[in-house]
Amino acid sequence: MAEAMAESYNRDSEPTTRTLLRRVLDTADTRTPRRRRSARVSAQKALLETPSSRRLSSPTKMNVRRRSHRARSIGRLAHVHTSGNLEEQTPRTLLKNILLTAPESSVMMPESVVKPVPTPQVVQSSRRESSRGSLELQLPELEPPTTLALGLLAPGRRKQRQRLSVFQQGMDQGLPLSQEPRGNGSASSLTSSLNLTFATPLQPQSVQRPGLARRPPTRRAVDVGAFLQDLRDTSLALASPGDSLRTPVATLPTDTVLEDTQPFSQPLIGRSPSVYHSLPCLSHTEAEDAERAVSHRIQSSGPRLQNHNPGKPTQLLAGKAKKVDALAVSFPNNSSAVSGEDGVEPLQDGVGEEAEERMEESLSVSKVMATTGTQGSVRMEKSKGHREMTEAAEAKEPEGSSGASPELASSTTEFLQARQPQFLEPAPPPSTAVLSSEPLEPLSTRLPPRARTPGPRARTPGPRPRQDPHKTGLSHYVKLFSFYAKMPMEKAALEMVEKCLDKYFQHLCDDLEVFAAHAGRKTVRPEDLELLMRRQGLVNDQVSLHVLVERHLPLEYRQLLIPCAFSGNSVFPAQ
Amino acid sequence: MAFSTTVSQRKHIKRKAPRGFLKHVFKRQKPHLRLETSGDLLVHLNCLLFVRRLAEESRMNAFESKCGVIKKEHVQAAAKLFFSPTQPELRGMKENC
Repeated sequence: MAEAMAESYNRDSEPTTRTLLRRVLDTADTRTPRRRRSARVSAQKALLETPSSRRLSSPTKMNVRRRSHRARSIGRLAHVHTSGNLEEQTPRTLLKNILLTAPESSVMMPESVVKPVPTPQVVQSSRRESSRGSLELQLPELEPPTTLALGLLAPGRRKQRQRLSVFQQGMDQGLPLSQEPRGNGSASSLTSSLNLTFATPLQPQSVQRPGLARRPPTRRAVDVGAFLQDLRDTSLALASPGDSLRTPVATLPTDTVLEDTQPFSQPLIGRSPSVYHSLPCLSHTEAEDAERAVSHRIQSSGPRLQNHNPGKPTQLLAGKAKKVDALAVSFPNNSSAVSGEDGVEPLQDGVGEEAEERMEESLSVSKVMATTGTQGSVRMEKSKGHREMTEAAEAKEPEGSSGASPELASSTTEFLQARQPQFLEPAPPPSTAVLSSEPLEPLSTRLPPRARTPGPRARTPGPRPRQDPHKTGLSHYVKLFSFYAKMPMEKAALEMVEKCLDKYFQHLCDDLEVFAAHAGRKTVRPEDLELLMRRQGLVNDQVSLHVLVERHLPLEYRQLLIPCAFSGNSVFPAQ
Repeated sequence: MAFSTTVSQRKHIKRKAPRGFLKHVFKRQKPHLRLETSGDLLVHLNCLLFVRRLAEESRMNAFESKCGVIKKEHVQAAAKLFFSPTQPELRGMKENC
């Protein structure tokens, strides 16, 4: 069978190599059982090494080598060899197998490659053999004909070498021939032959460890300047909010503080809570539009703020004042004065006074902040001022039409920007003066306490880590509370919710400890959690824990919690 | 209760559980105990349900006092149900569920 195939191969493939190989087969001497041992050493390597023992003529060897380069599966050879009787593993059979496995259309290596390849291959194979401590192959190492024969050792290896040689020839054109053949003393005499191609130096190492054959990575010279510039830009963007937070006299309440860890998301998140805090004052329908617009604007102004100077606080003021005016939506008569400048007058009317006051507050806030010269504090003060405003607005039932609010907001922002310089100059009406002093005082009183509880990048890192991440984590649940409540909430109520959550966590941990101890464990497991929920009445005979998980948790968590059977008789999570 | 998982999320409520935060809290309270991997998800579930109950209770209190805004007192009254004797709360829970 093999011979028949070999014959057919001979017919089909290029006559030169295959016919030569046939000739080799015919002329080759059958070898002694040495090959058997080598075959046993390793299936593939046996194949590769056994041919070496054959004393084949050089041209045929070259051809064979060529073909062996193309030989695809050494494994097939191995199978053939190992499966067959060891006695039968003659070079003849080996070559026949080579013929079998070699592709019909043998891709002939260019002569230049082929010729040098044999010699380095021989060297490499010799090295390999020496490395492997293979047996009889030590002898022919230094003999040119045997080196050629050694080249026959590993058709697969040769193939790899060939491929590598070609590959490396192509790729290493520009690379220096640094990788000289490894100081192989035995091959020193052959190194001269290796210089035939520049690819050969790289081959030995790669051939010895074909798995590690790698082209030296071509590295582009890094534009350090651009890289550093990018670094600086990002760090600036990251640091500027932090810096602004560090320096200010007053710091944001912890839940709106800009954290180090997520510099890009935090500014937005920091502002959005303030947005949300002011929102509950409004009915949802009205709030949604204004809120979205406001949040968008604030979010857009946030990053801008990071990079601009206090000129921008006016924009932020505008954005915040827009919220303020959204709060002032409750006064429908403002809807008539939508145009920019006209907005001043109706606002100056009784209703407008409040907006004025708020704007005055925000402006005074901005004044205070301008003096301190920090944008972040401006933002924080704004949010503080807004909290007050929201409380003030809550005192007055918001009525307003939804349509008026966005228009009003937009118009008031415009005229706010226009009025801000005016505000600073003219003497504020007494009411506003009173009001401005009021917010200033609580703000100023707040500043020291805020200074005591510094922001994430504050000067005193001591008390910071304790409170801020805790509050940030709690704020997640506080937001959920306000979402579930579906009603406007006071700020004091939110703080109360925080306290409740703290107490709740304490109770929870105590209960879990008790349950785990009751089970004699030191690890709290989901069974303890289920028992806790059962005691709380959440889980009963009608409602199981899995039902609750399905109802309230997103899919990803459900997959983690509820064991589900998958294909392959596997359950995840494993029980 | 209407169990709608998809709500018009104007406020972009995050559905992720702050697992690191929960683990941190537990570690701080009980450093000698360990919390298992899925345990903190169940803790989050518990928190969600707690917050939901608290919010509903506060809302009811606010409605009863005919106030359009949830005030601190409402929340306090609701919390009392949870943190002092549990029997009346359990009863309330069973009604809810």
